[in-house]
Amino acid sequence: MKQVRWEKRVLRPLVFLAALSPFFDLVWRAVDQSLSANPIKEITEVTGIWTLRFLVITLAVTPLRDLTGWSQIGTFRRMLGLFAFFYGFLHFTTYVALDQYFALEDIFSDVVKRPFITVGFASFLLMIPLALTSPNRVARRIGGRRWKALHRTVYAVALGGVFHYLWLVKADTSRPLLYGAILMSLLLFRIWSYFRSGRNIAGQVSNGGVNEGVAKESLDAKLD
Amino acid sequence: MVIPWRGIPLAEIIRKVEPTSHARYVAFETVYRPEEMPGQKRRVLEWPYVEGLRLDEAMNPLSFLAVGLYGKDLLNQNGAPFRLVVPWKYGFKGIKSIVKIKFVRSQPPTTWNISAPKEYGFYANVNPDVDHPRWSQKNERRIGEFFRRKTLMFNGYADQVASLYSGLDLRANY
Repeated sequence: MKQVRWEKRVLRPLVFLAALSPFFDLVWRAVDQSLSANPIKEITEVTGIWTLRFLVITLAVTPLRDLTGWSQIGTFRRMLGLFAFFYGFLHFTTYVALDQYFALEDIFSDVVKRPFITVGFASFLLMIPLALTSPNRVARRIGGRRWKALHRTVYAVALGGVFHYLWLVKADTSRPLLYGAILMSLLLFRIWSYFRSGRNIAGQVSNGGVNEGVAKESLDAKLD
Repeated sequence: MVIPWRGIPLAEIIRKVEPTSHARYVAFETVYRPEEMPGQKRRVLEWPYVEGLRLDEAMNPLSFLAVGLYGKDLLNQNGAPFRLVVPWKYGFKGIKSIVKIKFVRSQPPTTWNISAPKEYGFYANVNPDVDHPRWSQKNERRIGEFFRRKTLMFNGYADQVASLYSGLDLRANY
């Protein structure tokens, strides 16, 4: 009980502030006029990389919880996922408003013709329903099993993010490949733990399907 | 980006060394010094960086070897002591820290072409009508400006250089 309180009262606000720090850093550097010689490019790159980072961090929560047995860490997952959306939204808005200045024709042809933009745009669109269904109220309405199925698209979003990154670099693919490798190992961990405790998971799923009116407190745990 | 360069016309240097009539291309090479240039420790590209021009391109009065910018000597990271600038190929061909210039008979290899032949050809002229396979080259943002502007053919130097390429299909020879 005491531990729960510490995580809620201290760790959560700290993680929240830490997750905002790349954003505050951008704001500060914009005021300070130190966003490189090409500020729009810098904003695009910073918001883009943090989107991918938060996707990876979010996907690392459950494996980390399973490996360490630190159950409370699971309650951070939604917040981290929403930060992925926050940075993704800033990234997309920077491209549309600052980089292209609402040149819809150019944006449209980018989305249709440039594979890296197509996959980035698709990943952003796929994040929207995940963000919209994140409140407990909405999640409960949808039901555990369907909510869970919907939120599995986060894997596709993260994979899309990696390809978005990979297809835009000119020569040095080491960074995007690193993110790809991390994502792959997180995926493999899940496949591994699925097969290791296949029966357990099957039991949980059928339970979640029947028992949709879950209490608020246990929802996060339920929706793994 | 509009940069106030300082430099020496390449044609002046070429005239001074008097290449023979066999010379049809000029090949450039960057210093290979991984201790000082840590990026060269990884084979992101094939080192040393090499670049090339057709002799008539190199002799054009617009081509020059830069030794400074903004009224100061070139910094190491900008390609000191000599860096090639070919204004109508802006963003390309700007080989830095040149240590070797050779006059050759046939078209020399160029690093980006070796790295991604479908994306980068030998000529690398600024050409808004030919997209890079992965992105548009129709417009650009000048450093210090908010709005993008239309990229001009040959970076605005068509009057001076278009005749160099008469009869050449610029879509095939990108």
